[in-house]
Amino acid sequence: MQEIYASIVEILGEILDLDPTAIRPESYVMRDLGAESIDLMELAVSINERFAIEVDEEAIFLKSLRPAIETGRCGGGDPAAAVAEKYVFLESPRIDAMLADLTEGPVLQVQDLVRYVRYHTPPEGSHAG
Amino acid sequence: MTDDPPKILILGASCRLALDLIPQLFEHEFRPIFTFRTPKGEERILAKLAQCSGKKAELIKLDLHDPATLANLGAVLKEPPTHLADFAQGDYESLVAGADEDTVLEYFNANISCRAALLKRVARAMLTRRRGRLVFISSAAAAKPSPGQGFYAAAKLACEALYRNLGLEMAAKGITTAIVRPGYVDVGRGRRFLEKEKQTAKKLRQVGRIIEAGNVTAALLFLLLQGGPGVNGTILTLDGGMGLEK
Repeated sequence: MQEIYASIVEILGEILDLDPTAIRPESYVMRDLGAESIDLMELAVSINERFAIEVDEEAIFLKSLRPAIETGRCGGGDPAAAVAEKYVFLESPRIDAMLADLTEGPVLQVQDLVRYVRYHTPPEGSHAG
Repeated sequence: MTDDPPKILILGASCRLALDLIPQLFEHEFRPIFTFRTPKGEERILAKLAQCSGKKAELIKLDLHDPATLANLGAVLKEPPTHLADFAQGDYESLVAGADEDTVLEYFNANISCRAALLKRVARAMLTRRRGRLVFISSAAAAKPSPGQGFYAAAKLACEALYRNLGLEMAAKGITTAIVRPGYVDVGRGRRFLEKEKQTAKKLRQVGRIIEAGNVTAALLFLLLQGGPGVNGTILTLDGGMGLEK
């Protein structure tokens, strides 16, 4: 996990022209680091190239988070459960924190990117072929 | 940035203008990759290469009418091209009110939607190196069509918009675009028209409206090699002033 985090911080530093030491796991990718749409696209391309995984941009950048929350709330349902079902790489405490943080803007943090990559990276020694 | 020769992807390389460009690509030390749609197109490219002192190039089948052929770009894009020149264009000549609807759907799917999918792949590959220069060969018909050219003009205008926005969106990442609108060029479909419409051809020639292929390839090379990043999303029209007329 630490290696994945270090690589993602390096990628973010290059794309956003930031000092990597200024990036923390809790840094908001858009709110704090200033990433825009084109930067997110470059981030997806870089993660794909660095980690050799397919990157679903809708999932990694939580593009449908708010609709998922609304769907979860419909009929008195559980928005946290709806988010967990849609974004399977996120853990419950993080989802709860997101739900409490929605009014301040995009909730995507660096740690979410790390979790996505970690979830989609096969364990060592388990590659086919 | 690498010192390797720049790699250029030429879409629709079997058209006459693209074939005329081939020797100049080698003179400027490009490493070209050519796409073709049909076996005849492949033969034309190979015949031109045979005239280029044994120069080699990669040839790839790419048919905008068959989106599955986009997968053939996979290996090419692993080492992203730095340049792209897009000559690929199908013909569909029909009065708008007389068009076959299925043909229209197929024509726009191929020339606009499939091209958009192609540009997405190429642009994202270029993004990994933060370097790219894409030039679209449009047509003066985009601005000043003749009767029957409505669908051709619509496809060209749509693709111009894609290229312009690509340049707008990705300039900050080192990827820029330009568009060339040739008028009546004395090669390919232009020559066929001029040979058929001799009186029109005579008048056009008298007022300097026939464009030599060399003018177009010179403009393309300028835009590919020297135009960026200042010339971005810009349209360069080569029509001898025809578009200025009322």
